[in-house]
Amino acid sequence: MIERFRRRTRGVELALAPVEVSLLRQLVAQLEEYFSEDAPPVRGEDPVRDRLFPRAFLDPTEDAAEADYQSVVYSDLAKERSETAQALIATLDAGTVRRDETLSVQLSVEDMERWIGALNDIRLALGVTLEIKEEMPPIGEDDPRAAEFAVYDWLTYLQGGLVAVLMGDES
Amino acid sequence: MTDTGPGTGTGTDVLEAPVEETVTTPDTPWLVIVWNDPVNLMSYVVLVFQKVFGYSRAKAEKLMLEVHHDGKSVVASGTREKAEADVSRLHGHGLWATMEKDRP
Repeated sequence: MIERFRRRTRGVELALAPVEVSLLRQLVAQLEEYFSEDAPPVRGEDPVRDRLFPRAFLDPTEDAAEADYQSVVYSDLAKERSETAQALIATLDAGTVRRDETLSVQLSVEDMERWIGALNDIRLALGVTLEIKEEMPPIGEDDPRAAEFAVYDWLTYLQGGLVAVLMGDES
Repeated sequence: MTDTGPGTGTGTDVLEAPVEETVTTPDTPWLVIVWNDPVNLMSYVVLVFQKVFGYSRAKAEKLMLEVHHDGKSVVASGTREKAEADVSRLHGHGLWATMEKDRP
């Protein structure tokens, strides 16, 4: 077992297996595609983009305001979140490979915040495709989506661990 | 974005624009609402409320529990501009946030 989080004076040292590192790179690349569009989502076209960029106004009489809101904020939010995801990759690139082949990644407080944000976006996207609900029945090993659910759970564990470290709650 | 109501199309009638502006008086407070979501972690939502609004941990936790148990919570209020700024920051953190006019 990898000792996952090691508390450092300012931040944390994170240990990742090689397969986890390539998985993170792949997931960030997939996430980037949702941020690469120039225009705000056309509702109903892509449920993932609808979730990553939700409406600000639910009231249908505010549709004009909604269009204004999206035109003002969309490109900034997409750019900002793309940069956050790229920052995660940058910390992976800067990591050191240990003798046991795990990658040791040093995260400052700011890095942790970016990781938490990027992991959240990846989980939001996966949550839509896996139709995650508040109460989920157990996923059987023979379920064709079992591997994806396992990835989702691992991301949840990773994000939750970093939030706990950041908030000083880790046991 | 979906054009469900009359008169909200992209018509060229520029005279209509100022009318929309006067519908909301500057004093009408706008409510910022966060909705429950099966993906966002409870601890993460607390962290975001503290970061975006500068709330104490206790207040952030109380609001998060309201979202969790009641399905939604009013997390802030103010002018339309402030509400829009708050909503966009919450969206930037992946929270499902909306804004609406306060109805007494």
